[in-house]
This record gives sequence, C-alpha cells and structure tokens, in this order.
Amino acid sequence: MQEDHGTTQRRPVGFPESLIVLWGFLFVVWLVINSSVEPPIVVTGALASLALAAIFVRRGDVWRIGLTPRKVFHFIAYTGVFLVELVKANIDMLRYVYSPRIDIRPGIVKVKMPLRSPIGRLALANSIALTPGSLVMNLQGDALFIHWLDVKTTDPDEATRMIIGPFEKHLGAVFG
Amino acid sequence: MSELIGSIVILAGAFFLFSAGVGLLRMPDVFTRIQAGTKASTLGNILVLAGLGIYHPGWSLKLLIIAYFVLMTNPLSSHALSRAAHSIRTPMARTTVVDALRDENDASAAKGSS
Repeated sequence: MQEDHGTTQRRPVGFPESLIVLWGFLFVVWLVINSSVEPPIVVTGALASLALAAIFVRRGDVWRIGLTPRKVFHFIAYTGVFLVELVKANIDMLRYVYSPRIDIRPGIVKVKMPLRSPIGRLALANSIALTPGSLVMNLQGDALFIHWLDVKTTDPDEATRMIIGPFEKHLGAVFG
Repeated sequence: MSELIGSIVILAGAFFLFSAGVGLLRMPDVFTRIQAGTKASTLGNILVLAGLGIYHPGWSLKLLIIAYFVLMTNPLSSHALSRAAHSIRTPMARTTVVDALRDENDASAAKGSS
C-alpha cells in the first residue's frame, strides 16, 4: 500500500523561528513536570530541550511551526469548539448505549482532507475521532475515510461539510 | 468544599468510563465498539483528571499535561486498531449501509491487476 499523504506542497517556516518555538514548548513542559526552578534543573532542562529541538527541527519539516498571535487566538478558539463537540459526542454516545434497542446505520464515507501540514492533519484526525459518531479509518492522499455511526449522506462534499465543518476554519488558520 | 466538588467531578468521570464499558458490550461490531470506547473513555479520563486537579490544586499543571497526552494518544490508538481491523476484513454489522474504503481499495486493486 503506498503511503502518499500529499505533504510536499507547503512552504516551510524559517529554521531559527521554529527552533525557538519548539525549544520553548519543550522547556515549559520540562519545568511543569519538575515543578521546581532550582538552577541545576533549569540549566539541564534548557540544554536537553535545546538539543531535542535542534534534532527535530533539522531532521524534517514536520516540526516547523511558526507562532503568531493570530494562530494562538485560533488555537484557543479551536480548543473551545473541540470541548463542546467532545461533550456533544459523549451525550450522543450515552443515548446510543443506554437505549433499549441500538438503532444505528453505520458506514464508511469518504471526505476531503482540507489541511496540508502533517501536524494539522494529525490534529484534525484526532478531533474527528472525538466528535459525534465519527472515527477516522484511513488517509489516502487527500481522501479521508471515516466510519460514521449514523450515516446521513454518502455524498463526499456534503459529508465533508457535516463532519469537518466545525474545525476546518480554526485548524486551517493554525496549521495550514 | 473543593473536596466535595472534586469528588463529584471524579464520580462523573467514572460514570462515563462505565458507559464506555457498557458500550463495548452492547455495540454490534468492532468499529462501533471502538467508537464507544474511544469517546466515552476520553471524556471520562479528562473528568477524572479535572476532579483530581480540583482536589489537589498543586497538581493541576501536571494533570493538564497528562490530559493533553490522553487527548493525543487515545484517538491515535483507535485509528490504528480500526484500520487494522478493516484491513483484515473484519465483518461489519448487518445494518451497515456503505463502505467507501472497501470500494476504493477494490477499485485500485482492479486497476493494478489489469
């Protein structure tokens, strides 16, 4: 099976900028896990996260993420949308699970993947798995195959609008 | 007071985890079972972590990192499981209406062999 995920046609972000973003992110995670600001711990964390960030940014352009205020805003908006959808998905699931007779029409539908960057695709696929009645099965090129608990339409465009609609705008702005 | 609220949130999380288990038993085929397990257990986990955060406010940042870890990895494993189950042609429920992935794979296999 060919693994063509169509990730060649994007413009990469600059090297130093993405290095600093990844370094800062790893360093913050280190500080939170240690929950201490003793000098030896801070210095060790800074060195280790710098080395890791340098390796990951040099080895490929997966981790080259730029950071702008607009992206931060859209990421927070995306988190809000995501939490609402997660709670909706669970209420849906409770309705199916506790109904006396499970009345579903499952199926696998094909939708279009609007995002280009690998991390954006990962985030979108994870979001789809956690939203009402849908689960990503496979990704071939630009086609995303989704297992749908209650198939409402088999038309790709209509299904794209119904499943990806809530996330597309914010994730597209963050990851592109 | 914060202990009471934390306990109630943890209890709600436990309820969702229990529902995930019931869903695993009641759903008709592999894919719908994976769906029930993924969604309800993710929210259940997050609620338990949030309840712990209310109980012990000092842990909340670490718990937030664990919550993000669960959010990243739980769907990933469900994707891998469902894709593998589909590749070995696990039977789907009788009420299944459409299987676009099977159609697509059959079409490309036919194109490759001709």
